[in-house]
Amino acid sequence: MRRMRIWPAVVVLLLAGCGVRPSGVADGGEAPTGVAPGVTLYFVGARGELSPQLRRTGHLGGIPEAMALLLSGPGESGLRTDISASATTQVVVTVAPGVIRLLVPLSIHEVTPLGIDQIVCTALGVHIQSGGSKRTEAQVRFTLPTPESDKRRTCPLFR
Amino acid sequence: MTRRPRPRGLRVRLVVAFVLVTVLGAAAAAWSSAGSASAALVASTQQRLTETIAGQIGAITPQLVYPPDQGALERLRAAVGADTLVTYRNLRSAEGPDTGLVTDALRTAVRTRRRLVTERIIAGGKPWLLVGMPITLTAPNGARTPSGIEVYAVRDLSNVERRIDGLARTAAGTAALALPPAVLLALIAAGGVLRPVRELRDTARRLAAGDLDARSPPQGADELAELTVTINEMAESVQASMAAMRRMQADARRFAADVSHELRTPLSTLTAVVEVLATTTDGMEADARESAQMAITETHRLVRLVEDLMEVSRFDAGTARLRVEEVDAARAVRDCLRARGRLDRVDVVAPDGILLRVDPRRLDVIVANLAENALRHGAPPVRVRVSASREQVLIEVTDGGPGLPEQVLPQVFDRFYKADAARTRTPGNGLGLAIARENARLHGGDLTAGNADGGGARFVLRLPRNPEDR
Repeated sequence: MRRMRIWPAVVVLLLAGCGVRPSGVADGGEAPTGVAPGVTLYFVGARGELSPQLRRTGHLGGIPEAMALLLSGPGESGLRTDISASATTQVVVTVAPGVIRLLVPLSIHEVTPLGIDQIVCTALGVHIQSGGSKRTEAQVRFTLPTPESDKRRTCPLFR
Repeated sequence: MTRRPRPRGLRVRLVVAFVLVTVLGAAAAAWSSAGSASAALVASTQQRLTETIAGQIGAITPQLVYPPDQGALERLRAAVGADTLVTYRNLRSAEGPDTGLVTDALRTAVRTRRRLVTERIIAGGKPWLLVGMPITLTAPNGARTPSGIEVYAVRDLSNVERRIDGLARTAAGTAALALPPAVLLALIAAGGVLRPVRELRDTARRLAAGDLDARSPPQGADELAELTVTINEMAESVQASMAAMRRMQADARRFAADVSHELRTPLSTLTAVVEVLATTTDGMEADARESAQMAITETHRLVRLVEDLMEVSRFDAGTARLRVEEVDAARAVRDCLRARGRLDRVDVVAPDGILLRVDPRRLDVIVANLAENALRHGAPPVRVRVSASREQVLIEVTDGGPGLPEQVLPQVFDRFYKADAARTRTPGNGLGLAIARENARLHGGDLTAGNADGGGARFVLRLPRNPEDR
């Protein structure tokens, strides 16, 4: 008789071991991010330092959008840019793991090292704001061949 | 509660134990593998769903107006899927059909932990995955602050449940597959154990039946083989001691036979001398005559004893032969008693015409011994009754004495047994009843002792009508 009572218990145990069981509240990882009231562009201040400027576009937007705004210049804000004005503001952006490649419509002579930092900081800022890794580096490729095109850069402000 | 009888046979018990162990083991293995597989399945499904939702949100947020208006919330909800609810402060997107399942615990966790959180619940008999998350504002330097936008998504896990059920069924099937091999193995194992046991039982039976040569060959080197060897050794030693005992018995019998044989020649001389002496007692003094009479009597007793001993020896040696003739039972009994002068003291009830084939000399000895015994140890009236059935003839000797005590009955036919230890010098030599029974058995009959209803001793001789019919 005892064995007869054990069997149903075993079967119930077997069935209970399977199936989806309820769980409590569990952590599922990082929350998504990417909302912003505007895009942050980097220009040069009065003392020659990199200076962020929030351009209130209503949304964060992508890196090409931010690049186009950066190349268009600081406007009436008291900041200046170290990037020469050019006819086109279109930047081709390629995002690879760990590195963002930016193909700018400029030659190395049309931009100062500070200007390169402006480009790098703006691109990496957008990348980080939209949830990207802080360790990502940027590679700025110029129109004319130069060793500077192969350098991997980081923004001095984010260190 | 009635108690179920436990299975008795070794085979049944072995099979039951084997099957239990195997099926339990297989079930446990299948259960644990199905359990871990289903846990992995649930975990991977959950991860896939949350990553999809987070990815869908992450893809749209850079294009989303912030602070969001109702339209932005609806766009976000559309990007994630129908069963989603998006809130921002007082704004709420449209609700999905099942977003009401979102628990307060999940909302609290979203607000306090500021991370993506999940919860599994069972609602309406179906498993659900609840995913809740805030959307954070990230500064360019990586600092995160809550944006106030919260997304809650509800996903049905019924598909996973079905796949897990399939896994469980497969596991149960696998466990069931272990059943037939388990039964087969158990039967083979039981056979391996039971065959030597059965052989041992047969050997033991043969030994018990008297076949001391019975042995069973030991197989293998296990405990059963050891038991077999032990039983063989036991049989060996029993056989040896039986042989020794038989030899000693035979020696003792031969000694008795030799002694009685050797005594016969001097005794016959002595008998002759005594007979001469008997003829001259008339001229003796009274004392000398008494001594001579005593010598004569004792010599006759001695002759009788030696003859009886020789008779017993012949029975023991198996050399006693029957000389069968047809005899009238009643006449044989009367002749026997008349020859010994006992007819007047014994009441014979014997119908004439009961014929049987016996050795007349041996029948005479039996009847004489029984009558002598009754007259000597019992009390009158001594009665001999002859009756017959179709197969056998019964000769019953009863007396009017106190009967045989209980403790005497089993030994009354033993040689030299005397019921009354104090009277060792009774005229009988203690061999009469033993010889009577040997004679009865030689005919294929028997002699039994008991007490009659009236209290006297009662000896019953059963003889077959024809001993050659046996």
